[in-house]
Amino acid sequence: MAERQPILRMVKIDKKFPGVHALDHVDFELEEGEVHVLLGENGAGKSTLMKVLSGSIQSDSGQIFIHGKEIHNLSPEHARELGIGMVYQELSLVPALSVAENIFLGKPHRSRLGTIDWRKIYKEAEKSLADLGVAIDPKKEVRRLDVAEQQLTEIARVLTARPKIVLLDEPTSALSDAERERLFALIRLLRQRGVGIVYISHRLVEVPLVGQRVTVMRDGKVIGSLPVEQADEPTLVNMMVGRRLTDQYPKERVQPGKRVMQVANFSVKGSLHDVSFELHEGEVLGIFGLMGAGQPELTRAIFGLNRINSGRMWIDEREVHIHSPTDAIRHGIGLLTRDRRQSLVPVLPIPPNVTLANVSQLAMHRPIKLRSETRMAADYIRSLRIQPPRLNRPVMFLSGGNQQKVVLARWLFSKARILIFDEPTRGIDVGSKAEVFALMNQLTKNKVAIVMISSEMPEILAMADRILVMHGGRFTAELAAGEATPEKLLRCAS
Amino acid sequence: MSRKAKTSVESAAAKGALESGEGRAFGVVRELIARLGPVFALVLLGAYLSVASPHFLKTDNLVNITRQSAITAILAVGQTIVILTSGIDLSVGAVAAISASAAAVLMTQRVVFLGMVIGPVSFGLGFLVALAIGALAGTINGLIITRGRIPDFIATLGTLTIFQGIALIITGGLPVPSHITATELKGYLPKQMIWMGAGEIGGIPVAGLIALVIVILGWLVLRHTVLGRTVFAVGGNREAARVSGINIEKTKVAVYLLSGLIAALAGFVLAGRMNSSNALMAGEENLRSIAAVVIGGTNLFGGEGGVIGSLIGAFIMGELANGLNLLNVSAFWQRIVQGLVIILVVMFDQWRRRRFSTAR
Repeated sequence: MAERQPILRMVKIDKKFPGVHALDHVDFELEEGEVHVLLGENGAGKSTLMKVLSGSIQSDSGQIFIHGKEIHNLSPEHARELGIGMVYQELSLVPALSVAENIFLGKPHRSRLGTIDWRKIYKEAEKSLADLGVAIDPKKEVRRLDVAEQQLTEIARVLTARPKIVLLDEPTSALSDAERERLFALIRLLRQRGVGIVYISHRLVEVPLVGQRVTVMRDGKVIGSLPVEQADEPTLVNMMVGRRLTDQYPKERVQPGKRVMQVANFSVKGSLHDVSFELHEGEVLGIFGLMGAGQPELTRAIFGLNRINSGRMWIDEREVHIHSPTDAIRHGIGLLTRDRRQSLVPVLPIPPNVTLANVSQLAMHRPIKLRSETRMAADYIRSLRIQPPRLNRPVMFLSGGNQQKVVLARWLFSKARILIFDEPTRGIDVGSKAEVFALMNQLTKNKVAIVMISSEMPEILAMADRILVMHGGRFTAELAAGEATPEKLLRCAS
Repeated sequence: MSRKAKTSVESAAAKGALESGEGRAFGVVRELIARLGPVFALVLLGAYLSVASPHFLKTDNLVNITRQSAITAILAVGQTIVILTSGIDLSVGAVAAISASAAAVLMTQRVVFLGMVIGPVSFGLGFLVALAIGALAGTINGLIITRGRIPDFIATLGTLTIFQGIALIITGGLPVPSHITATELKGYLPKQMIWMGAGEIGGIPVAGLIALVIVILGWLVLRHTVLGRTVFAVGGNREAARVSGINIEKTKVAVYLLSGLIAALAGFVLAGRMNSSNALMAGEENLRSIAAVVIGGTNLFGGEGGVIGSLIGAFIMGELANGLNLLNVSAFWQRIVQGLVIILVVMFDQWRRRRFSTAR
């Protein structure tokens, strides 16, 4: 192989978001023709680092060198000119446009008259898709593609710009095994052309398949970099997870009581297949899975946000039919959504946000007692230590952790007996995390049953009494708190 | 009694403890600027006009402004509630016209309906019929939007012309009462209807009082009822409203029903003022009511605002039209000035919002 030189060097990159130290003096290097795998749990800082490199986020301090030359004030356009191509985790395609239009978005081929040369665009698009080994009609609208096809289109778009550095952020999360193989073949081809690739993933099994070097990040820091030969699974898991398992999660076990909920044979076409489970008073049931395993679909189905194709459900041994969140709330279910912005009305202050699930159960003409609402909200602000304790300021000005507490207060106030926590600690700082877990303990002591959906292994291992592992819309394993290990979870989930 | 007093003291104490002293005084100033923006515009314009024209501050003229602004103000209350849910009701003027015209026909003519000969009916029955038609028209708007799953803008744009068409059929395209129908029967609209549009109580126009009552009712609904809270939640974040168990479709239908009901009342006041009703009479009001809401500071994307701002917005428009008349500006130029004022006021409002209310 040709002589190697670093085409990218990032030195002491630092970035703070309100309440989170997203990148803590991170060093990173990439060589020509190398696939450098960037590994870490959710919120470790991988995506933030890549966004700094692609110019969509400005770092607070640090230096970036490309081909040994220092780069200042990186913007997305500048990054593109420098040959940096990024495939985002969240798809960034325009759904209403065709595949070809998306591939050449912003840089369409023009004929001599200055009009768009459609024939050439379609031909080129077809060619770049064929390079990927996929048969997607370039004239098809993107919204008609399935997720895997969209992801491949996104990759094709980035590659048509002939980048020197390619950033792939969890590119295989929506791909089938065959499609993944084709992507790996393409990556090998790009390496031969001397392209450097940063490959972000949290699938350990992929590391030896594509990478030459692995860097593990945790809590915004680089934990270590090592060649792939030395990176066996236990080493990597250890680096990813650290020894945080016990310190941060003050789990207090409660003897589970009687069965409160039973879900049988839930199926949703294309995402859930015959899912069944039981839930008991005072229990924390963990549901673990990688991205795309079907956890959000299960949540939405239980809470009445999506229709199920088949399946039944019982609460307190009586069959219930939940067609909307209104029904779910009436039966004592509460949902802490994955994205808090999905739960809160940003321009309203804390009190109406807290009472919303109760108010929605009342008839429209009923009065609202503002004074008792304010008093009640003040109580929750005090007991949950919501900061800053302002009663008339819109909740959009609160930090992530405090917003999460407002949502939690809503379900405490609604007296929900079954609470679904969907990624409860996503994007909140360490201090708030511990407080959220302490609240979970308090809830289970009061006989509340909790379904905790999480893709963060340490927290689910520490907090759950029982863990169900999901993969491909099915439960693949049930593990008791004692027998679950990170290795088992990852093996069952992939 | 004593318990009540105690709770209010408690909550005041709680509030005092919670609102940290820092920035509280500034918070009040900011709040005032944020709330009173439209009031400044109203007062500034009034100050200018009272200097520019000796007639502006005369009682007769102020009564006239009130009477003209009242119709827009009434319609704007329903419009505000709709816009707060991030909807829009382009059909309010048409609903006003169809309900007032249908009632006017019933109250002045003998009508054959399903084989029965009806009318002329009393004022009370006519008024109820108008309200029923308004509520029905609003419900139809709401159902088309929620069941048909089409944007509010399109649905009400469609029903706007449909309602106008039906109103033209009902009236035969003639004013009610007209020279043709007047000879046959009563010939005049009931005096109560004319009182609503043109009467006075102690020198204050009845139309203005009706507008005030509707604004107060609207304020009460928005601030103190479950429906009001639901409206802000749906407009502020539709997804969050749904996750919190709010029935969005029901809310939508309810707000359009209210808007239709209020429009019917406005139609009655308008026909009373003009001493005549016709199928196309409130055509300009469809957009005027929206302009009043926006000038009043309600966010066109929903979730923020209220009816008091819209009342002021309606008066700014009325004041402006009146002032331009007093200053002998031609009717052609008036339109241009009115359009410019709408744009400038909203631009100022946007700037004020960025500058004051989102500062941390």
